[in-house]
Formats: sequence, C-alpha cells, structure tokens
Amino acid sequence: MKYFEDFAVGEEMPLGSHVMTEEAILAFARRYDPQPFHVDAEAARRSIYGGLIASGWHTCAVMMRLSVEAHRRIAAAGLGSPGMDSCRWLKPVRAGDTLTGTSVVLETWPSRSRPMGFVRRRVELRNQRGEAVLAVVGVSMYRRRETPAG
Amino acid sequence: MSGWPGVADGPAYFEDVHAGQTLRFGRYEVTREEIVEFARQFDPQPFHLDEAAARESLFGGLVASGWHTGAMFISMVAEHMGPRAVTQGALGFDDLTWPVPVRPGDVLTVESTVVETIPSRSRSDRGTVKIASRVLNQRAEAVMTLTSLVIVMRRPRAGGAAPPAAPGAGAEGGAGAGQSSRSFQ
Repeated sequence: MKYFEDFAVGEEMPLGSHVMTEEAILAFARRYDPQPFHVDAEAARRSIYGGLIASGWHTCAVMMRLSVEAHRRIAAAGLGSPGMDSCRWLKPVRAGDTLTGTSVVLETWPSRSRPMGFVRRRVELRNQRGEAVLAVVGVSMYRRRETPAG
Repeated sequence: MSGWPGVADGPAYFEDVHAGQTLRFGRYEVTREEIVEFARQFDPQPFHLDEAAARESLFGGLVASGWHTGAMFISMVAEHMGPRAVTQGALGFDDLTWPVPVRPGDVLTVESTVVETIPSRSRSDRGTVKIASRVLNQRAEAVMTLTSLVIVMRRPRAGGAAPPAAPGAGAEGGAGAGQSSRSFQ
C-alpha cells in the first residue's frame, strides 16, 4: 500500500494509454456535451476545429480513468480530490488518437485536522505525435501511514 | 439577457458579453444508476460504485465522481446554449473545486457570471470570456465551482466575413500580417 508519506516531490508516474474511438467520442458528447463540433461531423468541419473533436470533459474523464488504474497498480490509499488548480485543453482530440498520460508530483503537505495528506500534481496527456493535448494541475488526498505507538 | 454567450434567444457575440452578466439555468436530477454508470466507465473508485464501501469512506455514502459533476455541468451549459451558440469550446478552466459531494437524488442547477472579456491577441475573429460558475444542489450548496475560459466569436463583419478558421491579424500588434480591414483604434 502506498500512503501519503510515500509520495515525493518530482516523482513521476506513467498513466498508460487510451485510444479515443469515434464511437466513444460521439457517445460521451451526445450524452453530456452535444455542441455541434462534438456531435455533427458536417458542422464540425465548418467550426474553428475543422472536424469532429472530443469534448474536453471527455478527455478529463479519460485522464481520470487512466489515473485510477495507475493508482490501483501502485495500491495507493487514495481518498479523492478537493479540486483542480487549472486545466488546459491544449490541442483538439480526434477520433483515433492514442492518449498517453504522465503525472509528476509538485508538492505534498499533511492535513492538520485529519489523518491524511495532500499531493499536488501536474498531469499531461499526449497524443501519438507527442503533442500535449491536456494539462491539469490538481490535488489528491491520501491516507497517512499509521504512526507506530511510542 | 445573455449571461452565457451564444444562448438561443439571440446570438451573443463577443461584443455582446460584458463582465457582471449573471444567469441561472439548468436542472439535472442525479440518479444512483447514472453515478454508478459514469464511475464504472471513468472513475471506478469504491465510493462512486458501491454503497457499502462508500459508507466506510470519507464521504459516508455513495457520491458522484467530480468529473461526472463536470459532465453534468457541461450538459446543462450545452442545453442552455442551444444549437445557435457562437461559442467555440473552451481553452480550459481554473480553480475548480468540489466543496460538497453530489449524491443520488440531488437536483443541480448552474449559476454563471461573466468575470472578464479578453480579445484574442492573435486572432481577430474571437475572444476569450472568463466565466465563473457554481453548480448548486437543491439546498443551494455549491457542489462544484470553476472559472471557464470560453472561446466566443466576434460579430461577423459586414460584406463577407472570412471563415472562422481563417488566421486573423493581430489586432493588438500581434504576429498578424495586417490582413484585417477593421480598425481597433
């Protein structure tokens, strides 16, 4: 089990990869973000993006999925997140793109009131051409290792 | 009034959007089934999937993934804007918080306020609008807050506007080659 104390500033974690299929892009967009450039190929061609692109919230959700799987691989004692400092959708994500994630620890600090601590990270997703498509700085909470008595 | 740019009751171009404009919109009923369905796909942590495990967690019961709340937020925004929106997506957001968990049975709405309008330095056909939003539950508690950076197109110029994707001249002395015929002085 990996606890709050086990995360060090500068530590990098690979998040693995995910392929964005057109089917998944359309399914997410139809359900949650039916703006023309996410659901209508013709309208998307006329938009500033020149073609269908994934909802940025879909890309964030995929980042979360990759992050949960990575945390499971290292058996981290995660407790959720209070929020994100910033999120930038740097480049459009299109059908067929393979997104690969990495995260790096920027800062750690213990909670003053609870047996847990906070870890601030920068997470990036890059496409198959190595272009960063998503950059997020956010905070996660982890359980502390139980302090041995005495 | 057009609080969020591009609402269906009259296209709001960049020029129509002003700091201080506020709007409340949306209604989203959160179900247990949807919380679990979203979590299975994108955020399979025990407190989003399983009531018994969630009871043992910090949250004391099943809660929606924060990214699910984000998806419900953009759903209310997209529905509110309608098909005639002149927004073209967003650059991202800042200062996203999830202060109160979203639980099954919650009913969410959005309250958005325009914070700032920023003309693009490199593209004369658009600008960025900073919009601070709060997603509220039925007790008027903020369950998510964020400041979005929304891309909003300028009003098309009379006499044949360039297509939106055409590179515009930098109106404020950017790298543009002076293709714009419009004076900003």
